[in-house]
Amino acid sequence: MNNKFERRSFLKCLGCGTAAMLAPQTGILPEIIGGVQNACAFDYSKELSSVEARYYKKLDGGGIECGLCPRHCRITDMERGYCGVRENRGDVYRTLVYGLPCAINIDPIEKKPLFHFYPGTSAFSLATAGCNVNCKFCQNWDISQSRPEQTNNLVLPPKDIVNIARQRKAPTIAYTYSEPVIFYEYMYDIAKLGQEKSVKSVMITNGYIEERPMSDLLPHLDAIKIDLKSIREDYYKKTVNGELKPVLDRLIQIKKAGVWLELVFLVVPTLNDSDNEFKELAIWIKKYLGVDTPLHYSRFHPQYLLKNLPMTPEITLQNAYDISRAEGLEYVYLGNLPNHKAESTSCPGCGEILIERKGYNISKINLVGNHCQKCKREIPGLF
Amino acid sequence: MSSVCVIKYAGKNKGKLLASENYQQLLESGLKTLTGNSNLTEAVRQYIPSGVVALKVNCLTRNLNSTPVPLTDGLAKILIKTGIDDNNIVIWERTNRELEQAGFDLNASSFGRRCLGTDTNGIGYSADYYTSGEVNSLVSKVMTDLVDFNINLPILKDHSIAGLSACLKNMYGAINNPNKFHDNNCDPFAANISNLEPIKSKNRLAIIDAIRVQYNGGPGYDSRYLGFYNGLIISDDPVAADRIGLEILEHLRKKNNLPTLTQTEREVKYLKSAEQLGLGMASREKIDLKVIAVDDTGHQSEVELL
Repeated sequence: MNNKFERRSFLKCLGCGTAAMLAPQTGILPEIIGGVQNACAFDYSKELSSVEARYYKKLDGGGIECGLCPRHCRITDMERGYCGVRENRGDVYRTLVYGLPCAINIDPIEKKPLFHFYPGTSAFSLATAGCNVNCKFCQNWDISQSRPEQTNNLVLPPKDIVNIARQRKAPTIAYTYSEPVIFYEYMYDIAKLGQEKSVKSVMITNGYIEERPMSDLLPHLDAIKIDLKSIREDYYKKTVNGELKPVLDRLIQIKKAGVWLELVFLVVPTLNDSDNEFKELAIWIKKYLGVDTPLHYSRFHPQYLLKNLPMTPEITLQNAYDISRAEGLEYVYLGNLPNHKAESTSCPGCGEILIERKGYNISKINLVGNHCQKCKREIPGLF
Repeated sequence: MSSVCVIKYAGKNKGKLLASENYQQLLESGLKTLTGNSNLTEAVRQYIPSGVVALKVNCLTRNLNSTPVPLTDGLAKILIKTGIDDNNIVIWERTNRELEQAGFDLNASSFGRRCLGTDTNGIGYSADYYTSGEVNSLVSKVMTDLVDFNINLPILKDHSIAGLSACLKNMYGAINNPNKFHDNNCDPFAANISNLEPIKSKNRLAIIDAIRVQYNGGPGYDSRYLGFYNGLIISDDPVAADRIGLEILEHLRKKNNLPTLTQTEREVKYLKSAEQLGLGMASREKIDLKVIAVDDTGHQSEVELL
């Protein structure tokens, strides 16, 4: 495997500024680029990477089959997989985005969202172009649905990412925004190196990945947030262009491995907002992941290919919350609803507010270690 | 009915790659035959009346089997003859890298023939998505903003997923997310992509280079399965041009003892879908086909397709 990375020069001012976010050529992403302050003079890449990809096999008669995600793309010479960032070159599969993030930023960990993972800390967040699904509601479609030639990419090999995170005093690196599965090799190498340097790693993912790459990665991750888009296969087929079952399998795998796990469920009006679906979801989580797995219902805002639908009504989110709580889930949150009480963490034992949140800010923490200050109940997570 | 003209080269370079003079001669004969008009300028203006014209090439295989530079040269000479300014001819592809590797000289300036990738500074993709069926894509600003018309210049190839790579498949290079649309043998996606508004309305002419055909092992380059057909396929109907291209592809496969595309589970279904969308004729009986052979002296004769 060729890991040699050609850099044009070194970062010119590691210490200055908070973050940089690169706008793809197709336009700026205001929801992410808002974090740019005193942007550093990072180097842009004019070339794509050609690091050999992992998890593929050569086919008899030519071509390769990718084994990273459940799509198992079969790709002939000079063609790319569905993700658009992995290319067959002479029957050697190459990742084109290794060391080439198109988005970096320092975010509150609450933005991922991870609510039971070192609340109030920050995460050095990064993404490359590409995704292995095509959700009609994607918030970051400018980068997730682009090829790496269509984004402006920084030159940041793993050691630089870890160094910047440490320099900026971010205890965690988050692989996020687009879909980290498709930049697996880059993520893996950063996470492994970060682990050696005491920098944590969290993966913000759709969970659409094969079992083996996930099991190889898990020892190097500290937490995972999975966007469970629906509990119904039909929705995955029509709205996500993926499959539900492999995602459910990965959820169980992660839970069994003991890596901290939280779920997000984006509630899209008319598509996945029925009482029955909320109930099925809660029952499945209770059965396979446990009632102490945090579930975040998130409000949909019309964009990308679903501009025809309205924003999720607050009452629908409240309904989802009530149904999930009634089924016994202990940590249910409502996202994109600033100042709603369900942004905060309450003790399932005594009802005490344990972590009070207002947007991404923490205003109060009533935990002693992992325990409720009032009733001493143990609260799951990493605090 | 749609009209398609196949021009077979019968000169001394038969069985070899052609020079721009050869291409020019074939194209002139073909355009006159296709339109039934012996005046070349009038024949061309039937499709390209004036303005800025794009030539969409296919450079996937870099310098191995991409749209030949001499084909674009020969065509450009004809366009210039009919009054199009050289700077108003824009040879284009997805990326500058692919164009350079296929032997084209980049030029985004205001002088001379332009040649540029969508990734050229200031080009890029449309700000808004265009939609047809399940296809939602940004379209190259070459198509949306820069030019008035497009001439599609694919090469005839086998495709490991789609079965056939020619006119409709070449337009995958006009959108930002082609990798999303290869399921189900690219059906109906290949049709939907050509049905995206700027592509549908600006595509005026299709010229498939079938001089040397990758009849198996495509869309990449595989020297084991390269054969000479020695012809060009011209039509203002990209679906009909593809339909004839498919016939040639299957003929070469049969001649080389290969199974049909259907037998390899690569039936080219997207042509029917394209016909249903009104993009052209996929049914053979709805295609008026003229096949001519042209030698180095310009002598023209009627011949069989296969």
